[in-house]
Amino acid sequence: MEYLVVLLIFVVFLQTRIMELKRSVYCLAAQSGIIAGACLAIGLGSGSGLHAWLPGLLTIFVKVLFIPGAILRLAGRITDEREIVSDINVNYSTMAAAAFLVMGYLLVDHLLPGTPGRSIIAAAILMIMTGLSLMVMRKRAILQMVGLITLENGIYLLGLLITEGLPLVVELGVFLDVLIAVVVLVILTNRMSLSFMTTDTTVMKKLKG
Amino acid sequence: MDFLFLALALYALGAMTMLWPKRLEMAAHAAGMLLAAAASGLVFAAAAAYLGSMSGFCLPAGLVLSHFGLLMDAGWGGYNLTADGWSAAFLVITGLAGAIISLYGIDYGKSYRGMGIRALAGLWNLFLLSMVLVLMAGDAFTFILAWEVMALVSFLLVNHESKKKDTVHAAYQYMVMTHLGTAAILVAFYLVGSYSESLLFADLAHNTLEGPLRHVAFGAAFIGFALKSGLMPLHVWLPNAHPAAPSHVSALMSGVMLKVAVYGFGRFVFYFLGMEVFAYGLIVMLVGLFSAFLGVLYASMEKDMKRILAYSSVENMGIIFATFGCGMLLVQTGHGTMAMVAFTAVLVHSFSHSIMKGLLFMSSGAVMHAVGSKNVELMGALAKKMPYTALFTLIGAMSLSSLPFTTGLVGEWMALQSFVTLGWQTGTQEMRLLVIAAFVLLGLTGALALGCFVRLYGVVFLGRRRSSLVLKAHEMPFFMLLGMGLEALLIVVLGIFPMPMVELMESALTGGMLALPMVSADAIVWNGLGILADGTKYSAYSPFMLLMLALIVTAVLALVLEGKGLYVQKDVTWNCGTVPTRRQQYTATGFSKPLRRAFDYILKPRKERTFIKKEHAYFGRTVHYNLFIPDQFTERLYVPVQHLMVRLSAFLHLVQQGSVRLYIGYTMLAMVAVLIWGVM
Repeated sequence: MEYLVVLLIFVVFLQTRIMELKRSVYCLAAQSGIIAGACLAIGLGSGSGLHAWLPGLLTIFVKVLFIPGAILRLAGRITDEREIVSDINVNYSTMAAAAFLVMGYLLVDHLLPGTPGRSIIAAAILMIMTGLSLMVMRKRAILQMVGLITLENGIYLLGLLITEGLPLVVELGVFLDVLIAVVVLVILTNRMSLSFMTTDTTVMKKLKG
Repeated sequence: MDFLFLALALYALGAMTMLWPKRLEMAAHAAGMLLAAAASGLVFAAAAAYLGSMSGFCLPAGLVLSHFGLLMDAGWGGYNLTADGWSAAFLVITGLAGAIISLYGIDYGKSYRGMGIRALAGLWNLFLLSMVLVLMAGDAFTFILAWEVMALVSFLLVNHESKKKDTVHAAYQYMVMTHLGTAAILVAFYLVGSYSESLLFADLAHNTLEGPLRHVAFGAAFIGFALKSGLMPLHVWLPNAHPAAPSHVSALMSGVMLKVAVYGFGRFVFYFLGMEVFAYGLIVMLVGLFSAFLGVLYASMEKDMKRILAYSSVENMGIIFATFGCGMLLVQTGHGTMAMVAFTAVLVHSFSHSIMKGLLFMSSGAVMHAVGSKNVELMGALAKKMPYTALFTLIGAMSLSSLPFTTGLVGEWMALQSFVTLGWQTGTQEMRLLVIAAFVLLGLTGALALGCFVRLYGVVFLGRRRSSLVLKAHEMPFFMLLGMGLEALLIVVLGIFPMPMVELMESALTGGMLALPMVSADAIVWNGLGILADGTKYSAYSPFMLLMLALIVTAVLALVLEGKGLYVQKDVTWNCGTVPTRRQQYTATGFSKPLRRAFDYILKPRKERTFIKKEHAYFGRTVHYNLFIPDQFTERLYVPVQHLMVRLSAFLHLVQQGSVRLYIGYTMLAMVAVLIWGVM
C-alpha cells in the first residue's frame, strides 16, 4: 500500500510538470491505474463477492481505458501546434502541489490523529487540490479535463478510505457521472476546436457580450 | 365573514379571466370587471356593516354590543386572516373605490382590445384581491406575502403598455423602489417578530422590543410605508408610475394602494410599537408637512395631467401622515380625546382622498381617451364637448382643493382641528412654534392646491381650444360616466352630510385594541356646542348649516338685485384694442409662472431660450422656449447615489472578470481557507 502511495504522489507531481497533451493523458491513465489498484487492494482485503472487485474493475475500464482513450483520440485530432506546447506556470503548479502535500499531512495529523491510512488521506487531499490547481493554471481545455479527473480520483480515493467502501449504487452513480461529464467535455472541446481552431479556453472570452 | 370569503372567491374567479380564450377576450374583460365590482361591493358592505354595528349607527341604541368580535378571523395552516376595526376602515375604502372604479373600467378597458385586455382584467382582480388580503392579514408572513403580490401585480399593471419605452422605465423604477420599501418593512417585522412569541399580529402586539432596536424598527417601518405611500423624498416612483399605468389602474393605485400603506403604518404604530416616544410623532408630522407642501408645489408646475394628479397624491398623503403624526404627539402628551379626532381625520381624509383622487384619475382617463394626449397645454374648451365629465371633474377638483360642501374639507377640517389642539393643549413654547410652522405649511398647501386645481380645470375644460386635438373629443360611454358620477355624487352628499362617514371611521378606532377614549361623532363635526365629553372646547363644522346659510344669503341677494341688471354685463375682453385670439389665453405654464418665480430657490427651473429669428431686440423674434423643472430629490439625492453605486460596482469588476478559471480559483482558495480554518 505504501508503495502505491509513493507511486501516486510521484505521478501527481509528474502531472504538474507535463505540458504536452498526450503525455499528460498517459500520466492520467497511470494515476487511475494506481487508484484502481488501491481500490482492488482495499476491496479484496476487506471482503469478497461482487462489491469487492466490481469498483476496481470499473475504475480500470472507465478511468484507465475509456476516458484516456477518448481524450487521446481527441488530442490526435487536434493538430494545432500552439496547443501542444504550453509555456506557463509549470514551476508554480509544482510548488503548489508541494504545499498541498504538506497541508494534507498537517490536516490529517490535526483532524484524524493516529489513523492507519495517514499517507493515503494526505495523498487524496494532494490530488484534490492539485486537480483544482491544474484546472485553474492550465489554459488548454484537455489539460483542464485532466485536472478534473485528478480531482475526481482524489475524491474517490478519500471516500474509499474514510467510508471503507461506499454502497455499490453510489459508486456506480459516481462512475456514470464522471463518464457523462467526460463525454460532454470531449464533445464540447471538439466543438470548440472546430469553431475556434484551438482549444485554448482564453479565446472563449470573445463570446462575452 | 361569509361575505368576505365570497368576495375573495369572486376576486379569484375574476383573476381566472386571464385564461379565457382569445376570441372571448371582450367577454372576459366584462366578466372580470363585473366580478371585481361585485366582490368589492361585498367587501364594502361587509366592512361598513361591521363598523356600523360598532358605532350603533344602523342599530337601535339598545342593541349596541359592548364587546365586539372581529370582522374576520380565519386561519389555514400558517396563514391567518384577521380583520378588526382598523382593517375594516380600510376595507371600506378599498371596497367602495374598487367597486366604482371597476364599473368605470368596464368601458375604459375596452380601448385595450387586442392589447392584453384579458391580462388587464385578470390582474385587476388579482390586484384588488391582494390589497384586501393585505388588509386582512393576521400574521406577518401573510402580510408580507400579500404585500409582495400587491407590489408585483401593480408592477405588471403599470407595465401594461410595455411597448412604450417610458412605461417600461417607470415600471422598473417602481419595481426597484417598492422592493426597497418591502425590504424596510421586512426589517421592521423581523425586529418586532424576534422579540415576540410568534409572528401572529396578536402576539406581535405584546413584543418586548426595547431601546435603540425599537427606534430602528420604527424607522424601518416608517421608511417602508412612507415609500409605498409616496412621501417625499421617497416619492420618485409615483409621478412616473401613475402616468404610465392605464387610468383606472392609476385611480386604484392612488386611491387605494397608497392608503394600504397608511393601514400598515397604523398597524405598526398602534399595535406593535406604540407612541411613547416623542420623536416618532414629530418625525412623521414633519415629513408629512414637507411632503404636503412640496407635493402641491410640484403639482402646480406639471403639464402632464396625470403627473399633476400624482404629485397631488403626494400632497394628500403628506396631509394624512402629518395628521397621523399630530395624533401621535397628542397621545404622547396625554390628550387621548383629541388624538381621536386626529386619527379619525386620518381615516376620513384617506376615505375622501380615495374617492376624489379616484374620480380625477378617471376623468383624466376620459380626457386622454377623448383627446389622445396627457399634455394639458393641448386641451381647452372640453367643457362644451364633454359636459358631464367636466361637471364631475369640477366636483373632484373642488374637493381636492378642500372647498366647502365637499368631502375634501371634512378631513382637512378635522386635521386642522387636531393641529390647533396640539398647539393649544400641550402648552409648551416649542410645541406652539411647531404648530405655527405647521399651520404656515398647511395653509400654503391649501392655497397652492386651490391654485393647482383651478389651473388644471381651467386649462383643460375652459377657455378656447389650444390644439386641434380637441376637435375630435366626444362624451364618454355610459359606464365611464357612471363611475365618475357615483364618485362625484358621493363627494357632494358626504360633503354636505358627513356624519355617516365620520361615525363609521371613528368606530374603526374604538373597536380594536386601541385604548383611546370614545368621542361622540357629533362632537367631532357638529353638536351645536363645540364641547367634548371632557369639557374641552373647540369649533365645529356643519356643512349642512353652512349650505343653508349660503343658500339664504344667495337667495336674499338675488331677490334684492333681481332685475337691476347689476350682475350681468356682456362685453369683449379688453385686449389693447385687438380681438383676443386662442393663442393669447393663459397657458398652464403661464398660469404657474408667479409661483415658479416665488419658489425659484426650491424648484430651480431650467430654461432654454433659442432665437430662431431675431431682427431686433424687441420685435421680429421667433423664439424656441424650453422649460424643464427637475425633481430636486431626483437630482440631488437619487442621481448622486446612483453614480456612487455605479462607481462602487466598478470595484466588483476586479473580482468578477467572467473567466471560469478565475472562479475555480476562488473555489480553491475558499476550500484551502476552510481546511486551514478547520485545522486551527
